[in-house]
Amino acid sequence: MSETREITLTVNGTDHTIDVEPRKLLVHAIREDLDMTGTHIGCDTGNCGACTVLVDGEPLKSCLMFTAQADGSEVMTVEGMEDLPESDGDLHPLQEGFHEEHGLQCGYCTPGMIMSGKALLDENPDPSEEEIREAISGNLCRCTGYQNIVKSIEYAAEKLAAQPAADGGRIIAEELADAQTDGGADAGGGGEFTGYDIDDGEFTCGAENCCGGPTTDADHTGGGDT
Amino acid sequence: MKAAPFEHHEPTSVDEAVSLLESLDGPTVLSGGQSLVPMLRFRLANPDVVVDINGIEELGYLREEDGFLKLGALARHADVEGSELIAEKYGSFADAAPLVADPQIRNRGTVVGSVAQADPKGDWGSLLIAHDGEVVARGPDGERVIPADEFFLLPYDTALDEDELITEVRVPTPSDREGSAYHKLKRKTGDYAMAGVGVRLRFDDDGVIEAAGIGMTAVDITNARASDAEDHLEGERPTPDLFEAAGESAAEESHPESDEHGDAAYKERMVKVLTQRALGDAAERAGVVKQRRVSR
Ligand SMILES: Cc1cc2nc3c(=O)[nH]c(=O)nc-3n(C[C@H](O)[C@H](O)[C@H](O)COP(=O)(O)OP(=O)(O)OC[C@H]3O[C@@H](n4cnc5c(N)ncnc54)[C@H](O)[C@@H]3O)c2cc1C
Ligand code: FES
Ligand code: FES
Repeated sequence: MSETREITLTVNGTDHTIDVEPRKLLVHAIREDLDMTGTHIGCDTGNCGACTVLVDGEPLKSCLMFTAQADGSEVMTVEGMEDLPESDGDLHPLQEGFHEEHGLQCGYCTPGMIMSGKALLDENPDPSEEEIREAISGNLCRCTGYQNIVKSIEYAAEKLAAQPAADGGRIIAEELADAQTDGGADAGGGGEFTGYDIDDGEFTCGAENCCGGPTTDADHTGGGDT
Repeated sequence: MKAAPFEHHEPTSVDEAVSLLESLDGPTVLSGGQSLVPMLRFRLANPDVVVDINGIEELGYLREEDGFLKLGALARHADVEGSELIAEKYGSFADAAPLVADPQIRNRGTVVGSVAQADPKGDWGSLLIAHDGEVVARGPDGERVIPADEFFLLPYDTALDEDELITEVRVPTPSDREGSAYHKLKRKTGDYAMAGVGVRLRFDDDGVIEAAGIGMTAVDITNARASDAEDHLEGERPTPDLFEAAGESAAEESHPESDEHGDAAYKERMVKVLTQRALGDAAERAGVVKQRRVSR
């Protein structure tokens, strides 16, 4: 075992400080050190996309990146989806879409599909079928067939469009503005949701009905390697 | 499988990286990692020391300067794909970028890393050849400029020394009467090429082809130039017959191998077709011919 190094990852809004060897892949840190097994490993070659996570908002294959390279980054995994304001404390519209449209069978590829879908809808809230297919072209599904996966993402796009909050959103913007005045969440430049904020160990995403987050910072600091 | 243990260095400047490469024993440069990480995991590469260049901000550029389009070592495939400059002026680069791998890999992998990898199936090497591009490297003795034709030696083997860092690749900026294109045949989205052809055509004021460049992907032991086909084109006016003859010539110059995706004769035929199509696009983009899509 070579020397380890202390790094900090912000995963789904919570800071985690862990000791990693340089050779530790991001996907292994997420699954083994942080115990978040929603992110899957499907291949050894960077082909399947089951390990897709968002790093600073960009979809990446977490099996093709070392953990130390993500030091200081914001990582989002499928576990974070339910905590987004547009999920309203329940399944995210994308997750609901996969459920409603039968976008999965064994579910192995689903977390990666959802993260690629999320990255797409963040950039392009009203994608064409072709754009959806392009966005998930780095994600392989061996059972469902892509038709229903495309429909699932279309479902989410429609549902998000119907939510006033979805397109940069009055409701969220207002909530964030309120939260900001009382020192809560960071509303960012355009009143857009830009991430979570942790203040004095108190987790808040800025939504009125914030669930308090999956865990607090204090739960995880230094505790990742146990 | 996990990579073997290694020491991870993260320089923040080119100078620092170059002195690390000089002083460390058997260093390997880590850029986007989209080829190197799998190689480390399969232990096809077992470096004791990895010099990770992702923190060198000065290498993250894509710009025109001194008569060149310059791509710094940290210009990612997605940067090329999203660049307005590329969309406006560099047809072949705009064609190739969205055809490299898949969105996740394009967000991380770099053009320079792909050139350094020297996979004969890599797409960018063919464009460097078609555009008479250059590789700029920094080593202990300073800077060295290596023409594309001298860079690719064997599969995964280049003219680069172990203690050299590629800081950029560059191609000359096009004239007003120049166009380029890249066509790639692959089995499905995200795959490496079964065959690919990049072309560049420069015309004189009379519409005669002044200079032609053709680089081929996946049909030889390295990215390869189709120089007979280029000779066919230079000094001629663009016609469907000319492009067909050039395509045939490129097919003859290619040396594809039969594999599970197709036999060599099929791939040669594809080289011809891809060359014809790319030439048609390039001539159209140069503003010289209106009618494209020559006979298939
Ligand atoms: C599933 C999959 C599909 C792919 N499909 C395609 C495809 O269709 N077309 C294609 O062209 N490529 C494809 N690739 C490869 C991809 O383009 C890689 O990004 C590229 O080959 C390497 O770039 P990188 O920045 O990731 O380099 P790395 O993986 O970091 O490095 C690759 C090699 O280059 C060396 N190196 C990197 N940068 C430098 C530098 N600045 N100076 C000196 N040496 C350096 C490294 O030491 C290493 O040996 C694919 C990869 C995967 C995993
Ligand atoms: S596990 Fe990362 S791409 Fe398959
Ligand atoms: S649902 Fe089984 S791999 Fe996609």
